[in-house]
Amino acid sequence: MPAESRTPALRTRLLVAVLGPLLAAAILIGVVGATLIADVVRRTNDRVLGGALGAIAETVQVERGEVTLDLPAAAFGMLENTERDNVYYRVAVGADLLTGYADLPAPDPATLDIDVPRYRFARYRDQQIRIAEVRRALPRIDQPVIVQIAETLDNRGALTRRLMVALLIGECVLVGAAALLIRPALGWSLRPLARLRGAVEARDGRARPDFSPLDTGPLPSELRPLAGAFDRLLAQLDTATVGVRRFTADASHQMRTPLSVLKVQVALARRGSDTERREALDEIADAVVRLERLVTQLLALARAEEAGVSAPLEAVDLREVAAAVITRQINRAIEAGIDLTLEGDERAVCVVAGHRTLIFEIIANLIDNAIRYNRSGGSVMVTIETAASGVSVSVVDDGPGIAPTHRITAFDRFVRLGDGNGPEGSGLGLAIVRSAATRLGATVAFGDPAVGTVVVLHFPQVTA
Amino acid sequence: MRILLIEDDAALARSIAALLRTGGNAVDHVATGEDALSVVAGEPYALVILDVGLPGIDGFTVLEMLRRRGERVPVLMLTARDALDDRVRGLDLGADDYLRKPFEPEELEARVRALGRRRGGDPLPVLSVGTLTINRSTGDADIAGRILDLRRRERTVLEALATRAGRVVPRELLIGEVFGFDEPVGGNAIEVHVTRLRGKLAPDGPGIRTVRGVGYMLDAG
Repeated sequence: MPAESRTPALRTRLLVAVLGPLLAAAILIGVVGATLIADVVRRTNDRVLGGALGAIAETVQVERGEVTLDLPAAAFGMLENTERDNVYYRVAVGADLLTGYADLPAPDPATLDIDVPRYRFARYRDQQIRIAEVRRALPRIDQPVIVQIAETLDNRGALTRRLMVALLIGECVLVGAAALLIRPALGWSLRPLARLRGAVEARDGRARPDFSPLDTGPLPSELRPLAGAFDRLLAQLDTATVGVRRFTADASHQMRTPLSVLKVQVALARRGSDTERREALDEIADAVVRLERLVTQLLALARAEEAGVSAPLEAVDLREVAAAVITRQINRAIEAGIDLTLEGDERAVCVVAGHRTLIFEIIANLIDNAIRYNRSGGSVMVTIETAASGVSVSVVDDGPGIAPTHRITAFDRFVRLGDGNGPEGSGLGLAIVRSAATRLGATVAFGDPAVGTVVVLHFPQVTA
Repeated sequence: MRILLIEDDAALARSIAALLRTGGNAVDHVATGEDALSVVAGEPYALVILDVGLPGIDGFTVLEMLRRRGERVPVLMLTARDALDDRVRGLDLGADDYLRKPFEPEELEARVRALGRRRGGDPLPVLSVGTLTINRSTGDADIAGRILDLRRRERTVLEALATRAGRVVPRELLIGEVFGFDEPVGGNAIEVHVTRLRGKLAPDGPGIRTVRGVGYMLDAG
């Protein structure tokens, strides 16, 4: 599956998302750390160098008009270290060297403040050195007295390297630990997900699908919406399957009565006389027609409940559809002695957005009911009216009508009204009508006439 | 025997009535529970066949009301429903038997016969009165091996008398058991059948006495 190969695993995502920034942070910390280390190493060593400088400078005195000094051994002791850095010094009065290394780079006395030590790097004998220098003002001495002390940088370098290595090791441990821990941490974090999967999989292979909410135990807050969505989907499925199951049960119950008729009449035909056999055959033919109509209507109902889910709406001319239905049913109406007519303004716009098949089914069922539950000499009038509120198709008959108390349940499946002595219907017609109307966003309702029955199918919107 | 059929589907009611009439039964049909409750009290039905799915008062309620009134008539329930609960409920409410649609016609007939026998207090399918033997399952009757050629009505009258052999069966009861209420009953309808029966039973079978002003009695033994 291409989608699967293009979507990286969670582990990879997390690795990229966590380790990338972590690595960048490590580099930044390394750079800042290196600067800091260099600074700290320079300051501490300078302080020691400054201390030695101070100790030497303090011994510089004027004795009988001569500048003298007594080099203290402690000053050099301070600068001893494991790296055996070379230490150089120079004390000069003006251009005259008093003691030390004459060629140590001398400062310009004018740039030095009195008694304020200054530090600088320089090159001496092909080596980098750090020089601390101070200018002293001595009484009755006109020339500036410069005291300098310097050391090579081996100790500083070694210290810096040690600290840098320690910093680097720390950073590597951090990044490495993060990389290594991502896998187990992910496994641990995803364990509730595995539990969720287990709960879903436990539903597999049951004889009867179980649509009750998943039993997952407590879930982390991130997974709760997922489990909730899943439970809602289950509940939806539950409703749907219950509906289907009830429908098939109802449908099979409805088939049983005509089937019973068939069985009994076949038995009667087998044993009876010729006359009885003919009567039985008539009953059998009626029962077969009933079964056929029931099957047709069940299919129509299934179509009505299924259709319109994906198919785009089309412009349907209600007058044209009503005329087509009437053309189809006019012979039945004439046979039954019923006057079937189409009324309403022929020029009025009565186009709605819908599915022609469904609308045809609705109008056909309404007219069929109006003819079926009518009396000879009655009339059925189909009227199409366009108003600001939408388009309505009314089917009006002057038959026995439906009692107001029965109008509530009339749209339910397999509800047949009357006392059982009336014409035989399947009890599905109005259920088909309602289901199809709902699909189309239309409403269907009974009117409240003095005589007969009025059913109004109303489409709320008009399209030109 | 006399059967009340309560079924809202006209075609099925016609079919069941026709089937049971071929077995020599008198069948009355009503389509609603209300009608059933009003006719059942006045007529001596040997059996009630009751559809569960009736408009208005449903079959269970009809059954419950019948039993509450103290009606002991056997009731056979017919249903289009599958649920076990329904069957249990029906039987618990006092139904004697239960048949699911679509049923086999032969099974309906057999169950009707079985319930009819139980009504007489005698579940044996073969009924003997002296030399007379009646097979209530097949409807055949013979006297010491001599097969009687009986018409449907005669068979019903003979069976009604034989189940109460040695006792007087009131004329009204006999009429009630033999004729449905939509059948024309002449003043001497029963007398005609009884006379024919006497001829067919003679000379070696049990005699049928007329108890003037009361009814008829089949000699026991």
